[in-house]
Amino acid sequence: MNRRELIQQMALSAAVAAARGVFPEITFAAPAVEDAALRGASWKKTPCRFCGVGCGLLVAIQDNRAVAVKGDPASSVNKGLCCVKGYHSVLALYGKDRLTTAQVRRNGKLVTVPMAEALDLIASKMKETIAKTGKDSVAIYGSGQWTIPDGYVASKFFKGCLGTNNVEANARLCMATAVSGFLSSFGLDEPMGCYEDIDHADAFILWGNNMAEMHPVLFSRMLDRRLANPEVKIIDVATRSTRTSMAADRSILFRPQSDLAIANAICYEIIRNGWHNKAFLDRHVSLHQGKTNIGYGLEDNFVFEDQAKDLTFDAYKKMLEDYTPAKAERISGVPAKDIQYLAWLYADPARKVTSFWCMGPNQHSRGTWMNNLIYNIHLLTGKIASPGNNPFSLTGQPSACGTVREVGTLTNRLPHGVVTSAEDRKLAAEIWGVPAERIPAKPTFHTVEMFRALDRGQIRFLWIQVTNPMVSMPKLRRYRDAAKKEDRFIVVSDVYPTPTTEIADVILPSAMWIEREGMFGNSERRTQHFEQMLKPPGEAMSDTWQLIEVARRMGFGKQFPWKPENHIEEIWKEYGRFHAGAKHNMASYSDLRSRPGVMWPYVNGKETKWRYNARYDPAAKGDSFDFYGKPDHKAWLWFRPYEPAAEEPDKNYPFWLNTGRVLEHWHTGSMTRRIPVLNRAMPHSYVELHPEDAKALGIRDGDRVKLTSRRGSLVLPASIDKRGRPARGAVFVPFFDESMLINELTLDSFCPISKEPDYKKCAIKVEKA
Amino acid sequence: MPRLDANRLILIGYAAALIASTVYVVGEAVLAGTGEVALAPAGPIETPSIPSESGVFRREKKALAYEKSKDKPSTRLLADYYSRRAFPGAPPSIPHQIFDERRDGKSCLACHTDGEYVPFLKAYAPVVPHPEMLNCRQCHVAGKQDQPVITATNFVMEKPPSIHGAAMPGAPPPIPHTLAMRNNCLACHAGPSAPKEIRTTHPERVNCRQCHAAVREMDQPKEEFPR
Repeated sequence: MNRRELIQQMALSAAVAAARGVFPEITFAAPAVEDAALRGASWKKTPCRFCGVGCGLLVAIQDNRAVAVKGDPASSVNKGLCCVKGYHSVLALYGKDRLTTAQVRRNGKLVTVPMAEALDLIASKMKETIAKTGKDSVAIYGSGQWTIPDGYVASKFFKGCLGTNNVEANARLCMATAVSGFLSSFGLDEPMGCYEDIDHADAFILWGNNMAEMHPVLFSRMLDRRLANPEVKIIDVATRSTRTSMAADRSILFRPQSDLAIANAICYEIIRNGWHNKAFLDRHVSLHQGKTNIGYGLEDNFVFEDQAKDLTFDAYKKMLEDYTPAKAERISGVPAKDIQYLAWLYADPARKVTSFWCMGPNQHSRGTWMNNLIYNIHLLTGKIASPGNNPFSLTGQPSACGTVREVGTLTNRLPHGVVTSAEDRKLAAEIWGVPAERIPAKPTFHTVEMFRALDRGQIRFLWIQVTNPMVSMPKLRRYRDAAKKEDRFIVVSDVYPTPTTEIADVILPSAMWIEREGMFGNSERRTQHFEQMLKPPGEAMSDTWQLIEVARRMGFGKQFPWKPENHIEEIWKEYGRFHAGAKHNMASYSDLRSRPGVMWPYVNGKETKWRYNARYDPAAKGDSFDFYGKPDHKAWLWFRPYEPAAEEPDKNYPFWLNTGRVLEHWHTGSMTRRIPVLNRAMPHSYVELHPEDAKALGIRDGDRVKLTSRRGSLVLPASIDKRGRPARGAVFVPFFDESMLINELTLDSFCPISKEPDYKKCAIKVEKA
Repeated sequence: MPRLDANRLILIGYAAALIASTVYVVGEAVLAGTGEVALAPAGPIETPSIPSESGVFRREKKALAYEKSKDKPSTRLLADYYSRRAFPGAPPSIPHQIFDERRDGKSCLACHTDGEYVPFLKAYAPVVPHPEMLNCRQCHVAGKQDQPVITATNFVMEKPPSIHGAAMPGAPPPIPHTLAMRNNCLACHAGPSAPKEIRTTHPERVNCRQCHAAVREMDQPKEEFPR
């Protein structure tokens, strides 16, 4: 290379480096190669099909086939980067066993029938069931993968037309706790901050959150922040060592359930040192306590209602004395000095601190409490609702926020507000064109109780859409047996055969993701639209349109008058009426189509990045913070104690069982396992053991291991020091593998406030098989 | 009839209560100690290192240096890389003069830690992905000897794995090799000594396995998934 070439190359690499910036807009493959292969393809934008991060993708479409994917450089979520699932997401459309026709069970056997016939059967079966056993004996169980129009139509059909609150969604199993956490602390659901917090924070505290595998794109954004600013610290607080712990500056391991004690000890330490932000507390925070010894929901028809009592700061301080770092060390196994370090990190006035969590604190028998406690730390230090300073609850499904939480597809919710409020019911009835008295004022069954009601016979007809409960329900056998009982009619809408389609009386083939038009809402209040890019295979039909077809057959044509060509736009317009106003205004349909996602509240063409902060949020009054979700315009700090888990290890079942996900597979694997590259990388489930426990039991890597709980047993291969290492006395099993159903062993205890099951804790014994 | 005064009765009562509570406490402790060996031990829980997971981040701090490096990339090709190996995945032999027969480890690492330019060999040294293993020559032997040796063999080198495994145009290629002792991606895939064909265009994206799936890591099923 001569001097001139060298200078040219240096200039080029400098330009490339400058262009990439902190979180670069990434183009990896040599553009020439890519273009040659994809000449004639058109690139269209969509949010990713998988997790709640909501990465913007560009999908190349050629001759009615999706042929390539890249990250959308225009999306502020991922700025062009994806994870391995996103890059290969379109392959999930092309599994060989894709469902393309409707099937009906006759004499125990599934028979292919025309779609119209299956829809007729569903409508007549619903009518018959309602006539025989009442409207509360029909139910729909949907999903955080429902598009917003799917969930909206389901809610309108069941709550508004049929007049039953039997509407639930699988987000009850993952995000219900985040909802009850937000509602109890702030009065309104969903985070105050956004992903941009990552670009401002100086310290990240991850609570029971293996972000490197579960939210990889955000994790990379955090690593970028640290690479460019070496003083930035990432602290992993968890029960298991993972890839996240390996990348963290510090990994702190605690005993299952003891995060409650640690968080309280952090609060104790902050106050003891006088590090709390007195001015902020005086102006913006009120103190409360709730009920204690609140149970675990193990028995049918369990009822719990929390009750708030006011608390003085001195009384709160006194209550925290049970959680000195030394006492918390005894409960948690975390050295007091580590707890003190966390307290210092949170309180250090020179640092902006963001906390992240997902299923660790959410799938927790005291999950609402744990969410409250993380908020407490941010409230005590005043590090909230401003750039870089936020507690940030991450989500697992692409539209857990957009559909389940915002549309309110839960038994107690409406698209705006709750069924128990006459005002909210009136608004819904008005928009839906139904009599207000049609919508019942009383919630019926949350998810676990809904399946229990199916078992007891209170529910006779259940329509399951976009979810796979026969893999994902805890204490699985009871609920599978329930679904198989005589006189239970199960409809399953899905894209592939799963253990859930096995229990179906009718299977409807669904149009998947970009085979139809829709919207998802991600973790940072961002709504993202995708157009129909492909023709669905065979008779596959969108979940929205399936519901509309059945509703019309049941005589609700007036409520569902839309035409196929513009029904999504019409639904969006109608739904938008529920959220009008500065607190939750949604973007217009045309804005959604033209932009890579829009964050709500979207007021006068402006997104709100930080809520409750008058500098950013048009709904916040005054000159600083305004927690307008609560009547006292204050954020609520709750004293919440440590209480043990529903089932802890004992002599007969001496190990903790923890369950979760892996990077390559998404939830129950029905899509990702049909993507060859992901399936090869992670072909089956396994049980992770601590090497010393394995040694004591004579188990080596790859050996078959039998796990037994009070509910069932399962044999899996051992995995020692591969993806992760659990603490001693604990094991970890991923739940994606339908041939090794770990939920046969898990317990259906739940947080009494959120009703979300605790998949992270039950007692088992471990033997070499 | 012996007189029992009230004080004495109280004392006996106390003693009985004390014995009972001692029995209870000791009993509980004994019970707690039996059969619960697998329960998490008391005291702090130590953070382990999981090599297959930590390796990927090991040269993280080098990432930006690679990005900004003005080093002239070497002309090393993948063919050179495989020419030093008996089969894909075998430890490479040492192609240069060995400077100190007896001293090991540290003298190798002088050049192979960060892949410095070695003037008299006119080359950038390849970076070792496992610098914690100091007995280098347990696995890496001299490639060229002064004395002729028996070289005839029927052993045929397996074809190196394809680097063109991307599922679609532009998709991140999967990792076609196993990760044992090679979990430190940036060691071989970044920097001036990285073979041209496998040098990453984006060394600053340090969580490599976020996008590149390790398809040779686990036992593979014969068929694809469909039920």
